[in-house]
Amino acid sequence: MNSSPAASNAASHGAYVFQIYVAGGAPNSVQALANLYALCREYFPGSHRIEVIDVLKEPLRALEEVILVTPTVVKVSPAPRQQIIGNLSQEEEVLRALGLPQKEQKENG
Amino acid sequence: MHTQGGGMSDKTETLSREKFPSGIEGFDDITFGGLPRGRTTLFLGGPGSGKTVLALQTLVSGAGHHDTPGIFVAFEENADRIRANAESFGWNLAGRQKNRLYIVDAQLSPDTVKAGEFDLTALLAGLEAKAQEMHANLIVFDALDVLLSLLDDRAAERRELYRIQAWLRRTGLTGIVTAKVEENDPATEQRGAFLSFLADCVVLLRQSVLERAAVREMRVVKYRGSTHVLNEVPFAIGPTGIEVGAPNGNHPEPQPFKERVSTGIARVDEMLDGGLYRGTNALITGSAGTGKSTLAGLFAEAACRRGERALFVSFDENALDIIRDLASVSVDLTLHLKSGLLRMEAVRTDSASGEEHLIRIKRLIREHKPACVAIDPFSALVNVGGEQAARTAVERLVYLCRNEHITVLFTSLHEAQDQELATLPLHVSSLVDTWMQITYSLCGGERNRALSVIKSRGSKHSNQVRELIFSDEGITLADPYSAGGEVLMGTLRIEKENAVRAEHERLRGEIAQKREEIHLIQLDRDLRIEGARREVQACDEELERLNRTSTAQRAEGALRKDEVVRERDSRLVREQTDGAKPAGGKARPAEPERVDGAKAAAGTPRFPAKTRKKRP
Repeated sequence: MNSSPAASNAASHGAYVFQIYVAGGAPNSVQALANLYALCREYFPGSHRIEVIDVLKEPLRALEEVILVTPTVVKVSPAPRQQIIGNLSQEEEVLRALGLPQKEQKENG
Repeated sequence: MHTQGGGMSDKTETLSREKFPSGIEGFDDITFGGLPRGRTTLFLGGPGSGKTVLALQTLVSGAGHHDTPGIFVAFEENADRIRANAESFGWNLAGRQKNRLYIVDAQLSPDTVKAGEFDLTALLAGLEAKAQEMHANLIVFDALDVLLSLLDDRAAERRELYRIQAWLRRTGLTGIVTAKVEENDPATEQRGAFLSFLADCVVLLRQSVLERAAVREMRVVKYRGSTHVLNEVPFAIGPTGIEVGAPNGNHPEPQPFKERVSTGIARVDEMLDGGLYRGTNALITGSAGTGKSTLAGLFAEAACRRGERALFVSFDENALDIIRDLASVSVDLTLHLKSGLLRMEAVRTDSASGEEHLIRIKRLIREHKPACVAIDPFSALVNVGGEQAARTAVERLVYLCRNEHITVLFTSLHEAQDQELATLPLHVSSLVDTWMQITYSLCGGERNRALSVIKSRGSKHSNQVRELIFSDEGITLADPYSAGGEVLMGTLRIEKENAVRAEHERLRGEIAQKREEIHLIQLDRDLRIEGARREVQACDEELERLNRTSTAQRAEGALRKDEVVRERDSRLVREQTDGAKPAGGKARPAEPERVDGAKAAAGTPRFPAKTRKKRP
């Protein structure tokens, strides 16, 4: 359900490529997706692509990629590959994982 | 009767529907059939307690055959290590990997960042699809605690466990969950407690060090809707996997006692009314130096001499030492070792637990296929890993051998010099078919070896205590001598033997003398009989001669008479014709002569015989 707006957003090409594994419309998945969009708009406007994979629709793909939990965000490029699990509510962790500067005023955004 | 039969078959069917056999020796005994089918079993234990091996082995050999499709989810080790682990036990995963066994690498990369709440939907969705694809009916979550620790939150942890439980229920898979619990770590203990609460069957695995040996034990803590063995039971991880020392394992069918097997000492066989029954076991107890090993060696040697295969397992003694000891009593084992009939295996007891030793002995039995097995001394097993483990190990070895129709001789070191038999090590007396005891008997200032048969199932046996003699010529039992209610041994016996020999000697002399006397009397008698017989014969001959003479004379006389008559007639005729001729002179002396001869014939032979007979 959330995959169609995500897919349309992924149309915008850029240096940053993300995969996000969601479990249908589960609250944490929805929240993670929203958080990822917000982050990309803010830090990589016009230069990011997001692929949304619903594990309920493609369960074997998740297994092959060793995706154990939902939601999981994988930064595919630029290297190194980075995996973030959770609904991305802890923004400082996300920023640290992506190597982005911490923004005090953006803490709750 | 009909309804009863139907009910029973229903019950077995229900049982097979309810239980998933693990295929692990002993494990299905303590769980009365295996894991709860379609439900969740939890293996809890400390690091290295064997949880992973137990789960993997169930997956590999489960459901009574080796082709149960299953999934192994590895949270801690990667798939390659799991495969290597399996291959080290000789379980070939490669050949059936494709559709039968699927190992999921389920470790998050170490640089994974956690940023907020998550759940296990991805994994469970993936596994569900995989399980459907390969028609799996068993799934293992190995080291689930590793995954749970990611959650960092007790509430989340419980929520995810409920999720897994619900998922298992829904999919109908038989689940195995392994998790680490560390003693004195409240966090893992609490997790263990909650996992136990959710699971239908909980098996606790434990590794401890007892008397320097690592001992593994397991206990079925909980089994919803099923009986199970409550006690902790020993188990071992052997070269082919886990074996559980189920105390009430398969009891063997009692074998009918038929054929006898020699103990190696003819006189001991006599005491046992012909030897040991084939397929039974015998125990020889005794304190140090009583010769137990030698007797065990003789038993094996006797088997080889009959052309049977024999296995000699010695604990804490070199095989060469045993060969040398037996050579000193003229028993040569080297010959049988060369021919391959005999296999000797020296084992250090502290190298493994009792359970592992059992596995090793079982492997030796499978490899060598002996008809007779000597284990010397099995009591050494107690030194490592404690009595309970050793006892069940021995118990199962006894059952194994009985089922395989192997005759076993155990020896047991009996340190205490007490004559009371209650203190048999390991309390295995009820297992033992034949029990012989060698004691040191103190008498006349000496220690002598004394052998007695305490029990021998199914045969009458001697109640005597006999001295066991080791000499250059071999080993045997002395003749029993008793004096004052005590069996004599050693010097006292030799003295007694000498005394008996002297007495024999004296009697023999006396008899010989008497016999000689009688012989002389017989000779004298025979001579006298012969003399008498000859006299009788002489007399008879004399009489005969006389008779003949008198007959002749009578005939002569008659002849003469005729002549006389004729002469007279002729003289008369002549006288009548020409006068007389002198012929009467010849006829006249014939008359008295004949009278004398008749008198002699009647008197002489009888007279001297009579007088001689009266003389002695």
